[in-house]
Amino acid sequence: MDSEIPLPPPRRIRHRSPANANPSATGIAVSSFQRTQRLSRFDDRSSQPSSDPALFSSDDIPASGLENYHATVSGAGRKRRYRGTWWGEQVPDPKRKRAEFKDKRNVDSGVWMGSDESGAESLLPSEDGSAWGEDLRKSVLDPRKLGSSTPFAVETENMPTQNRVVLKSPEESDAHRFARQVVGDCLDKGHESIDLGDFHLVTIPPGLLRPLQHLTKLPSVKEAPVSENVFTSLQPFLSIYLPNNSLSALHNDLFELTHLKVLSLRNNKLTEIPSTIRRLTALEVLNLSVNQLSYLPWELLKLMQQGELKHLTVRPNPFLPIEKAQIAEWHNAPTNEKGMKNDEASSPPLEFQEQESSLGKGWSPLHIATGPITYMNMEGTPMGDSPSRNRSPLTPSGSTSPVNDAPSMREVALRAVSKLPYLEQTTDEELAEYPAMIVPLLRQAREVRAAGGQPCSVCHREYVIPRAEWMEWWDFTPCENGMKMPRCPGERLRPLPFRRFGCSLSCVPRSR
Amino acid sequence: MAQPTDSEFVTIVSDDGFEFIIPRSTAYVSETLRIPLSSTNFPEGREGKFVLKDFSGVIVEKICEYLCYNEKHKDQVNVPDMDIPPELCLELLMAADFLNT
Repeated sequence: MDSEIPLPPPRRIRHRSPANANPSATGIAVSSFQRTQRLSRFDDRSSQPSSDPALFSSDDIPASGLENYHATVSGAGRKRRYRGTWWGEQVPDPKRKRAEFKDKRNVDSGVWMGSDESGAESLLPSEDGSAWGEDLRKSVLDPRKLGSSTPFAVETENMPTQNRVVLKSPEESDAHRFARQVVGDCLDKGHESIDLGDFHLVTIPPGLLRPLQHLTKLPSVKEAPVSENVFTSLQPFLSIYLPNNSLSALHNDLFELTHLKVLSLRNNKLTEIPSTIRRLTALEVLNLSVNQLSYLPWELLKLMQQGELKHLTVRPNPFLPIEKAQIAEWHNAPTNEKGMKNDEASSPPLEFQEQESSLGKGWSPLHIATGPITYMNMEGTPMGDSPSRNRSPLTPSGSTSPVNDAPSMREVALRAVSKLPYLEQTTDEELAEYPAMIVPLLRQAREVRAAGGQPCSVCHREYVIPRAEWMEWWDFTPCENGMKMPRCPGERLRPLPFRRFGCSLSCVPRSR
Repeated sequence: MAQPTDSEFVTIVSDDGFEFIIPRSTAYVSETLRIPLSSTNFPEGREGKFVLKDFSGVIVEKICEYLCYNEKHKDQVNVPDMDIPPELCLELLMAADFLNT
């Protein structure tokens, strides 16, 4: 009975649309009463059995439509305002139906189904909560990204699937994008060695390596007969290869991959390896050759002594040669030699001496020499040779100067600052609001916090501002280049400089 | 470094009038306190009283606590951390800058 009568559409679209109708709370009881009345009338007229007739949305009872299922029955009163043809027919036209359908789409059904709209997909939270929040904040704060409709649209950088990379902000360089693709690919397929060589990376983009923490090997089971040897650990033998890039600094993300086994940074532009490398306790192979390093972090030595690091390649690098360096004390000097200390003319004792207690000495790193100590003042800048601190670096003396060995008040306060929550989330703009003299200190505390703390190399307590710094020369030839031979007596030692920090003026090397 | 007053204690006064009496040697940890307190040319040195005008009583109490802490752990190697409530640490940083400790 619907489409037979070609009549102009009645102007009642608004009345039928439930999304626009304002349900009146007062009319509930009244309208339900009216509705039952009307239904009974309808029943009589159609002479149907006593059961309720089927209700259709095209029926001329406005309140009976599906769209009014939850809405308060408000259409009852509208019946009286009906304006149609005189014979009471209502003519729905196809256009109007379509509009109604769209209206229906806008009603939240509470059921979520997968849609092909990419906006809905990017609403999924990423695996990493903190990075997600950071991205969100960035996109909210960054006026360049105002074009994107929601802040979530930029969030996709942590889930580097092919189609999501397209959504990335356009300022990301090609190298970063390709690197993300490679990392995402490895994550998807469970590859445990990530090859990012020759990518011309200048920096490691934030968030690139962090998902690798959750990399899991895929089980190798393909078919039904399961043999014994498929039950292997899914813990990956994680290797990251970053050779032939232009990296000048390493991101802290890299050092959060605590189960990293192989790391190659060959042929980069690194000038310094951060001491945070101590967190890579599972590291077995490290290649730092062809960089601009002049010293190594002392923490690397700990990885060799206590960790798994057995294969370290560091040459060639412009290390400070021991012959030219200032040496305060030789540790490997034979006992019969005299006057070795501070004697530049004599040849340094660089031959391996067999000693009585040298059972493991052929393998372990050997302490050759210690350089002079540079003391730093309370703000971390090197102090000159002040007469008030006239103490020999290796003989602690009870000094009566006002500078003493207890942590400075700055240090004490900064340690408290570095324990504050939300410190790493403060931006430079927020820091700039603080008085200028404490801003560099706060920034330093934030860096230390981002690096996951910084224990003193002597007393192992967390500190912010180093107060003492010195070089130690260690020889680790057996570990170098994967040599599998212990040292033999008379072998020429090739010690390398390791930079070491102390947290207070008393955290200095002790003389033997 | 002649001591102008023979008392072995000095008084540190906060902005809001709280007075803290601490041993003179502990106050000398801070350069900013030591110079005026040890000289008769300054009124602080004559009275043995130093007013920290920019800091409230809570902060000055913490400052004095630190000064004693520093004195106590002067030559120790393994110094325990001093407990600083997080809401005070920024102001203490300012105080540390002022006192040069």
